[in-house]
Amino acid sequence: MAEVFLKNISKSFVPGKPVLRELSLKVADGELFFLLGPSGCGKSTLLRILAGLEKQDAGTISFNGVEISSLPPEKRQAAMMFQNYALWPHLTVFENIAFGLRIMGISGQKLKDEVNSALEAVQLGDCGSRKVPSLSGGQQQRVALARALAVRPAVLLLDEPLSNLDARLRDNMRSEIVRICRQRNQTAIYVTHDRQEALSMADRMAVLKDGSICQCGTPRELYNFPANRFTGTFLGDMNIIEGKISGNSLETSFGTFQLAKTSASAVAGAIRPERIRFVSAGTPGAFQATVRQGTFLGDCCEWLCEANGTILAVKECAPPDRKNGDEVFLAFDDGFLLALE
Amino acid sequence: MIFRRVLQYLMLVMLAGFLALFLLMPLFTVIGEGCSWQLICEVFRSPVYVEGLANSFAISLVTTAMVAVISLFLALLYDRYDFAGKEYCSLLMLLPMILPPFVGALGFQQILGHYGVVNTLLVKCGIPRIDFLGGDGKFWSVCLIEALHLYPVFYLNLITSLGNIDPALSDAAANLGANRWQRFLRIKLPLLKSGFLAGSSIVMVWSFTELGTPLMFGYNRVTPVQIFNGLTELENNPLPYSLVLIMLVVSAGIYLTLRKIFGTPAGTAAVKGSMGSKAVKLAGFKRFMPSLAFLLVAFMSILPHLALLGAAFSLRWYDTILPESFTLEHFGNALSNPLVLPSIVNSLRYSLLAMLIAILCGTLTALSSSRWRLHGSGILDLLSMLPLAIPGLVIAFGFLGMTARYAWAREIFNPVDNPLWLLAIAYAVRRIPYVVRAVGSGLEQTPEELENAARNFGAGPVKTLFKITFPLIGANLLVGGLFAFSFSMLEVSDSLILAQKSIFFPITKALLELSQILGSGPASASAFGVWAMFFLALTLAAAGILMGKKIGAIFKF
Repeated sequence: MAEVFLKNISKSFVPGKPVLRELSLKVADGELFFLLGPSGCGKSTLLRILAGLEKQDAGTISFNGVEISSLPPEKRQAAMMFQNYALWPHLTVFENIAFGLRIMGISGQKLKDEVNSALEAVQLGDCGSRKVPSLSGGQQQRVALARALAVRPAVLLLDEPLSNLDARLRDNMRSEIVRICRQRNQTAIYVTHDRQEALSMADRMAVLKDGSICQCGTPRELYNFPANRFTGTFLGDMNIIEGKISGNSLETSFGTFQLAKTSASAVAGAIRPERIRFVSAGTPGAFQATVRQGTFLGDCCEWLCEANGTILAVKECAPPDRKNGDEVFLAFDDGFLLALE
Repeated sequence: MIFRRVLQYLMLVMLAGFLALFLLMPLFTVIGEGCSWQLICEVFRSPVYVEGLANSFAISLVTTAMVAVISLFLALLYDRYDFAGKEYCSLLMLLPMILPPFVGALGFQQILGHYGVVNTLLVKCGIPRIDFLGGDGKFWSVCLIEALHLYPVFYLNLITSLGNIDPALSDAAANLGANRWQRFLRIKLPLLKSGFLAGSSIVMVWSFTELGTPLMFGYNRVTPVQIFNGLTELENNPLPYSLVLIMLVVSAGIYLTLRKIFGTPAGTAAVKGSMGSKAVKLAGFKRFMPSLAFLLVAFMSILPHLALLGAAFSLRWYDTILPESFTLEHFGNALSNPLVLPSIVNSLRYSLLAMLIAILCGTLTALSSSRWRLHGSGILDLLSMLPLAIPGLVIAFGFLGMTARYAWAREIFNPVDNPLWLLAIAYAVRRIPYVVRAVGSGLEQTPEELENAARNFGAGPVKTLFKITFPLIGANLLVGGLFAFSFSMLEVSDSLILAQKSIFFPITKALLELSQILGSGPASASAFGVWAMFFLALTLAAAGILMGKKIGAIFKF
């Protein structure tokens, strides 16, 4: 497995419209790293550059300190799981998986063992002789994963591998991929635009916007302490609270509150809906608000409350029955009110 | 990676060099040889040549009109209705292509000749014989036989265009109150422009420059036959070059005029969420009406071939409606003729070599534009499609001019010594478009990601090509190859002009020679034609099965 280092990668397909802008990134050995971002942010292009299927305009890529920027795709040991799986329809499942192994010079019984072990790992032990078009979407997805894992790549590249699956199958596969990667200590770079997928699976992740990294860190860091408005809102619902920031405090129309952390360029406060609690009057830090709208979501309820002209979304689990117009008291969880750029 | 790119560009340059040498050079040789103001004036001063040009042009106009009516009628039936046996209609449409029309002309004479089937019927009804094949009859016979041979090309183009029209467009017009005719005239017909352009261009140029059919009918007052007849005195009289040049200019004019008439093809791609074809399901006896129409047209078009079959098997078929007795003697006679067996061997050699050259050039062209995306591959693509627009006669004459003008060309390609390479290359150049289209359509339908995946799993470019790309587009490669091979086997213009010694004659020239032998000649030629018919039928059936509906794409500009 390998440590991956990308340095100042730039790429544009149309002159003057860069897809990637001097992007640098380090992925540790054995890490399951996620690239998350909206469509067109350059995440798939970055993955294809890593695989050697696109050539960067500038910058270098190294695996374990060895530069591989100029190597052709077949020499990179960066096996990719394609978004549409790219399984070869004229070959059987066995032959699809054996393809890369044969090129590595593996044959005979060892080849059979390796292919079967890859098939076992994705729980498709009895599908070796089947043709790809006869498999379901979920099975094809597993074959694609098995094919990529079979060659024991230095880096496993996954390009939105679950996007074509239904919700239930997707949940199953998430844990499968995490299990297999952990078991093999596999360095993997995973591209997705699904924040749930990234938050639930990643060791670390980077949020991309317009070809640049907005923020990089663990899922908890990024979710709880986003550095900017884009990362904060992309990873989940966020209340943006306009007010005056002075030092470590935020002055708003409904009170003054202590910020968890701030920066000189911060312009607004922000807090996630689940970090606002309904409290009783007199609780330290409590402020008064009026319930304006409630949306029942099954396991929880999302309320829109108005506090002196500012609308705040509040997420509450096991909620009591509230009515529009009810007067309530709210408080922010300590350490979760942020200042954002 | 740089080395690979250099290699790809090197192949591109070699390919461009090949096409420049064997497509552009013959073309420019014809232009060079024929581009003499004095000679051109002489052509237009001669009433015989002017009449030839007028007749050729009239043949192309009448043929195209006939073809357009037949094809549009059948294509609309096919698109609009679900009827009994619809799935077999596409295969049925390929039937007329079984033989080049000039062989069909042999059979046609059996039907419309002075003592042929129709005249015998007329006499039996007390009506005096009509000279169908004399005077103007020859003109109409040539038009009819060419129309019956060429309508599948037009039909397949129309079917492809109809398949690309989103049914929602017609529904939208109906929704706004347009009736069936208004929808047809205002919506469907304008959207069929691309099909009309492609179909009419091929048919008009083809029939304008067709040599074999009028030659077989002895219709000498058309330019291609006049050019062919002028071959023997070419050294003293370079007039045929000017005639070829004029044909080339008229062909280009035909194409440009049609382009002007039909304009730029409109975008007809189906939009997201659109429905598939909405054919009306016919019930009861109506289910069989469209099938009958298809059968009738197919029967008409294979009638000359059926007559050929009859002539090949009949001991005597003269002044009777049906053959009087049957025999296999003509097949024996045909095979015992010293021209026949060597011509089969020759054709096989020329065509196999031509197929290999066409596959190599066509595949490289398709790869360079669809996969390698090299600068200049667009020009190469255009260049490789050019033979569809250039008459075979022009290229054949160009080769002849090259061997006369350049010592090196005479050294390698002298048609008198051995025309193997000359004919193989001439056949190949004209068949490259079919391979480019067949392979290109295969590449378009194959996601490039499958090849990327192979590269990603360690396969080099060559291994990827042979293990992934070629197996995936195998059917397309095969179809391109089959077309290149079978059309080469029965090629007329190059064969008649470039094969000059009887020991080097290919099948078509041997057929012509055989048909001109008095006595049993036509019957032996018919027997020989039957063999050719069987051969091409087999090839086209294989291609039809392999390509399915997409076979029409091969005949598109």
